[in-house]
Formats: sequence, structure tokens, C-alpha cells
Amino acid sequence: MTRSPVKVLYIDDEENNLLAFKASFRRQYEIYTANSAAEGLKVLQNLSVEVIIADQKMPHTTGVEFFKSITDTYPDPIRILLTGYTDIAALADAINHGDIYRYITKPWNDLELHNSIKNAHDAYRAKIDLRNKVLELEKTNDELNRFIYSISHELRAPLVSVIGIVNLVKMEGLYHSSGEYWELIESCSSKLDYYIQKTLQYYKNNKNVSDKSQIDFQRLVDEIIDLYAYTDRDTTFNVNIKQPYQFMGDAFRIEVILGNLISNAIKYQKSSEQNKSVDITIEVSSFAAEILIADNGLGILNEHLEKIFTQFFKTKNNKGSGLGLFIVKEALNKINGKIDVSSSLDQGTTFKITIPNAG
Amino acid sequence: MVMLIDDNIIDLKINAKIILLSKLFGEIIQFQSAEEALNFLHHYRNQPEKLPDLILLDIQMPEMDGFDFLDKYKNFPAAAKEKSLIAMLSSTLDFGDIKKAEANPYVLKLLKKPLSTLELDKIFNAYFK
Repeated sequence: MTRSPVKVLYIDDEENNLLAFKASFRRQYEIYTANSAAEGLKVLQNLSVEVIIADQKMPHTTGVEFFKSITDTYPDPIRILLTGYTDIAALADAINHGDIYRYITKPWNDLELHNSIKNAHDAYRAKIDLRNKVLELEKTNDELNRFIYSISHELRAPLVSVIGIVNLVKMEGLYHSSGEYWELIESCSSKLDYYIQKTLQYYKNNKNVSDKSQIDFQRLVDEIIDLYAYTDRDTTFNVNIKQPYQFMGDAFRIEVILGNLISNAIKYQKSSEQNKSVDITIEVSSFAAEILIADNGLGILNEHLEKIFTQFFKTKNNKGSGLGLFIVKEALNKINGKIDVSSSLDQGTTFKITIPNAG
Repeated sequence: MVMLIDDNIIDLKINAKIILLSKLFGEIIQFQSAEEALNFLHHYRNQPEKLPDLILLDIQMPEMDGFDFLDKYKNFPAAAKEKSLIAMLSSTLDFGDIKKAEANPYVLKLLKKPLSTLELDKIFNAYFK
């Protein structure tokens, strides 16, 4: 592939230098010259150059001042500063504020300047390529997320119809009419629904937009208990919420976090336990919400404790998907929350979560 | 009378049966598109006694979706809107949809599919007793 020659803009108030530069480099580069910063700006407005060389000492506007003035409007071209004397102050200023790539003293050495322009052009290409790659990646990622999201929706609609039919079978007293078949259909459907819901939660959490709205923890916890407690009617919930401050946060992620933890606390109870209980304690300050969710259930083996937040980690004996706690952790990462867990086998598990108050 | 609006014929069947078994409402009328339902409502807009008491409205439908329906519905005469209360019924888990539905002044509630008699009871006790 032949590339069009590199476009170089050279700004200098001394006409002789402009002519000398052209004479030396016109074969290698497409050269534009200007005898003042103002003229240089005009060139930039009309075409995109890849490398800008500017003399430091010019009347009205110095080279560094010029570079500074275009940092926002023309951030892409790579800048080289030329100066006839060693001016430490100008040099420091150039490095700190002018985003200068090279600093070359006058009179220049053709080979040195040529190499600098070549390197500058490579730097320019690398910058542009990287930016294009990032854009491309973001686009692919976004498409993938949207695809998974809409496919999950499409999968869930007919599944929910199946669950509706099973409900009708129950209402009409036909549930036990075909041995255990209906029961099996029901358990498979709810398992599939669980996976689809977790997939949706995961992909929604991946999107970066985080909205801030007012959170009423009492109401949220009541809703979540309402939603999950139907699976187990004999669990006692001790809910203790102190919210003297308004809390602002990401409603979707907080609901995902509490929903997964509370439904786990209900799910992993000991079947032999007479007094199944789940304690939910939330204290809201102006800085954060401190949340404790404690159960007296199965507990977690010590050697499993550090793995429970990893994707697809499951233990042999339970019915988990290996997604719930992973999603909790991911969601907390997005909103700068923290989670700690302590557990003893057969005694129960306590999760402690801290979520910053964005209000 | 309950009006069901859903493009999915299986869901219409299921939901009609659940409402029937719940014995909470009398007649059930079904429409497979928001447009047909609007035509029906428009026809009887000045005879509230012929309008349904409850409309169960699906969200995702081709061409005119549930929210488009609500946009048109707000221009109906006040008496018609007082007679026919709306609950949305959807399998959505989309937070945006849920918020949008609950923010609409004509929507009592967003019910999740599958429709449960428990939720139906709640609506009946709150608005039709």
C-alpha cells in the first residue's frame, strides 16, 4: 500500500529558514509553511497535517504559545519545537504545557530533523490507530451486549408462557394428573428462567451508565422479601433499617445486589433447621449505607470462601448457578462498593456490604 | 369486563383462562393488536357502560406497542378513562420499561407475566371492590 506523503507544517518568521526547509525536505514530505502563528492556524483550518514544526522565537506569538493555543482544537498533530538558543524556561514550558514531542536546536541537522519527523509521524499513526481500535472495540462490545440482551428477552417471553401454563394446570387441579411430569416441567422452566434473569442482570450491569436516584431501603427490602420469600414460607425475616439520611445511588445495581444476597440467604438454609432466619440490618449515613445480611443456614467451607465471587464457581452439593455472587461483586465494582463475608459451616453466613452515598 | 391486549395468541389464551378461573371479572374480550383495541374503545368512547373495567396491556407488540397505546389513550374522554383502568402486563425485566410504566398516570401497576391470581386479587381489592 502506498501512503500519501506525510503532511508537515513548518512555522517560522524567518523566510530563509522556510526556504531552506523546503529545499531539504520537499522530496520526502508534503510541506506547508507559514511565517507566523496566525498564518499557521489558517493552514490547520484548511487541512489536517500530521506533524507541526514551529520556531520558538517569533514576534507576537512564540512557538510554545502557539502549541498551547491549539491543544484543544488540534490535539492530533505531533509537535516539534525549533529554537536557536537553549532557553530552559521555554523548554520547561514546552514540555509541561505544549505537549511537545521533540525539541530541536537551530541550526538544525538535516538527518536529525528528518529522523524526528519520521518518528513523529509514527507516533501520529500509533495515536490514530489506537483511537480507531478503541472505537471499534467499544462498538463490538456494545453490539454484543445489545445482542445478548435482546436475545434473552426473546427467550424469556415464551418461557414465561410455559410457566403460565403450568400455573393454569395447578389451578385446574391437573398438576398431579401425569405422575411427576408437570413438576419436572415446572422445575426445568424455573431453572431456565433463573439463568436468563442472571444473564440479563450480568449484561445490564456491564453497561456503564449508572443512574442516581433516591433509594428507600425499607421499601426495597420489603419488595425483595416479597418476591423471593414465596419459595420458602417458614423463614423469619428480622429487618432493621435505620435511614435518617437521604440515600442516592444506582437503583438497578443495588436491587441486583440485595436481591441476589437475600435470595441466597433464603435458598441455602438447612432443611433440618426449625427456626430458619434471615437478619437484614441497614444503617444509612450521609457517606454510605452499611448493610448486613446474616442467615443461620448451611454456611460456606473456609477453603471456598475466597472463590465464591468467581464466575461459575459452584459446589457439588448445592443448586447454584455460579453466577449470583459473581454478579453481586461485579455490580459492587461498578458503584465503588465493598463486600466482606464471614461464615462457619452449619452455623450460617454473614455478608457485609458498604455502598457509598452519592447524595 | 376485562380487555386483554397482546400480540401473542398463546398468552391471550393463558391470561383469559386465568382471569376466568379467578372468577373476579365477568366478560373477557381479547385483541391481538393495540390498534384493534383502540378502535373498539373509540367506538364506545361515549358509552362508558360498554367499556371494559380493566385493560391488561402488553408492552412489546409490533407496530403500536403498549406505550404508543397509552399515548393515544390519553386523548379519550374523561368518563371513558375513568371507567377503563389499565394495568400493564409484560415479561419485561427492563428497569427502564418498569419505571416508564409506573410513571404513566393511567397505569395502575405493571404486572409481570405469568399473570398470577394473587396479583389479580390485589388489583381487584384495591380498585373494584
